[in-house]
Amino acid sequence: MAYNFSQNIWKNALLSSNHGAWALHRTISTTPVRNRVSVGRYKPLEGRKQLLTYDQAIKPHELAHKKSWNTWNTSTLEGGRRSQLTTIEDMFIRRFIHGAWFCHIKGQQIIIKRQHNIIRIAFCLPKKLPPQSVYFITGFCERLLSIWLHCPVKLEIQAVENYEGYVKIV
Amino acid sequence: MSLLSFPKMPLKGFKPVRVQLVFNHVARLASSKSYDPKSHDESEFRQLEIRPVRRDRKTSSKARMMMPRDYKRTNNIDPDKADWKSIWPGPRSFDPNSIPIPVRQGRLKPYRRAFDKYANMELMKIPSFFHIPPTTIKAQCEAIKSFCTPFPNQLNSKEKCEEHFPLTVITNDYLHSAPTIRDPLARIVTIKLKLKNIPLDEHARDKFMRLVRDRYDDKTDTLTIVTDRCPLRKQNYDYAQYLLTACFFESWTVEDWESEKTEADMEKYIWENNISAKALASIVKWSPDKLGKSIFHDTLPADELKPEHLVLGAAVKKVIEGETEEGIEEYKKAAMEVLLSKKAVGLKA
Repeated sequence: MAYNFSQNIWKNALLSSNHGAWALHRTISTTPVRNRVSVGRYKPLEGRKQLLTYDQAIKPHELAHKKSWNTWNTSTLEGGRRSQLTTIEDMFIRRFIHGAWFCHIKGQQIIIKRQHNIIRIAFCLPKKLPPQSVYFITGFCERLLSIWLHCPVKLEIQAVENYEGYVKIV
Repeated sequence: MSLLSFPKMPLKGFKPVRVQLVFNHVARLASSKSYDPKSHDESEFRQLEIRPVRRDRKTSSKARMMMPRDYKRTNNIDPDKADWKSIWPGPRSFDPNSIPIPVRQGRLKPYRRAFDKYANMELMKIPSFFHIPPTTIKAQCEAIKSFCTPFPNQLNSKEKCEEHFPLTVITNDYLHSAPTIRDPLARIVTIKLKLKNIPLDEHARDKFMRLVRDRYDDKTDTLTIVTDRCPLRKQNYDYAQYLLTACFFESWTVEDWESEKTEADMEKYIWENNISAKALASIVKWSPDKLGKSIFHDTLPADELKPEHLVLGAAVKKVIEGETEEGIEEYKKAAMEVLLSKKAVGLKA
């Protein structure tokens, strides 16, 4: 297909140009499309199976039918403002929270909801974490994020049992 | 939201792979040998352990605090008696341990039951109104009532409001889910005014219309001025006030050159100034001694105009502005009434 396309371009260039041979060098190089979609689709790992949360078990094309978004804000509505900055901030928040909680977050799923100037960050934690650490890291995250993002940040944590929250094995 | 019917049973076929090095084992043994001043009394004679003995950490150090296994507060909440606004004072994400009702959301297959509220992230995503049930709204309204003043009862109708406050100022505030409350669209100010509320004579009104152009809507008699050229709302509001004031006083001024306006400059047909009125005057005022002289006459003064003359004028104006079958018919009838009716003929005779 790519060959045919460049051939057509070649012919068009020949037909349309009256300026000599230099037009023959203007061709478009294309590569065939490979429709491989793998993002957000979980497969069994080599040697073991893996547990999926509800969010992971549902494939990305079922978003808005069976599950909703992890980010809630008005920046992408019509007339919404600072959508780019909001997206970058969300990426930063996700990475920071994931690191600050030592990768303990259930299913790596962090919900970021923005209401006016408040940012609510919700996720699930295992109950086995010591409460002192949980309180300390909560305050640590809220304090640092609110300094960096210039707005109040609230962490809304749900403590869950060890195998709670997993709905599927692949 | 648990995977298995027996949640405490380890999952079948699920075994975490752990690569354990010999070095780790050695390191752990070495650490247990290390000297801890708290665990040893100073008077106690330290022993040399040829082969180190593993001590149980829990017995030696303080007992570690753990989260209680079951702290589901919902089991203790009575929905009928609980003071809900103290349980859920403000907006927040869904918390299954505070909400004493069974909520379910999300299923993988259509014939299966939806997952319950524990560890259900779908419920945490959606916005909820648990913080404003009717009882809370009522309580909050009661609380802020002392800060409110009653609406003036003299302004009991819309007409009275318009009479006392003819100027309407419209501005918009925007709320985004962002740390800033600024929005450039908030600077725009719209003022609305009904023209019947400001004194304008015919000349001033004509000039005012020319100044404001399409900002005036003749169906509702409303003037609308939108200002958005200044960066702040206050500046735009002041500018709109200035525009209104300037247009008003400008419309009342009469320039010298305005008297030079001729019939060709007229933007609409006024029958009283036109040749049709003059011709009517010459016919009405005709007498035999004017034979051979110019028949053109000045227009009739207003007190000499009879009702049928005005009807004729209206008919002429209608024909000139847009010629229709009915207009012509009306014109014919009016002209006959003026010129050939028994009254007109009788008066002449």
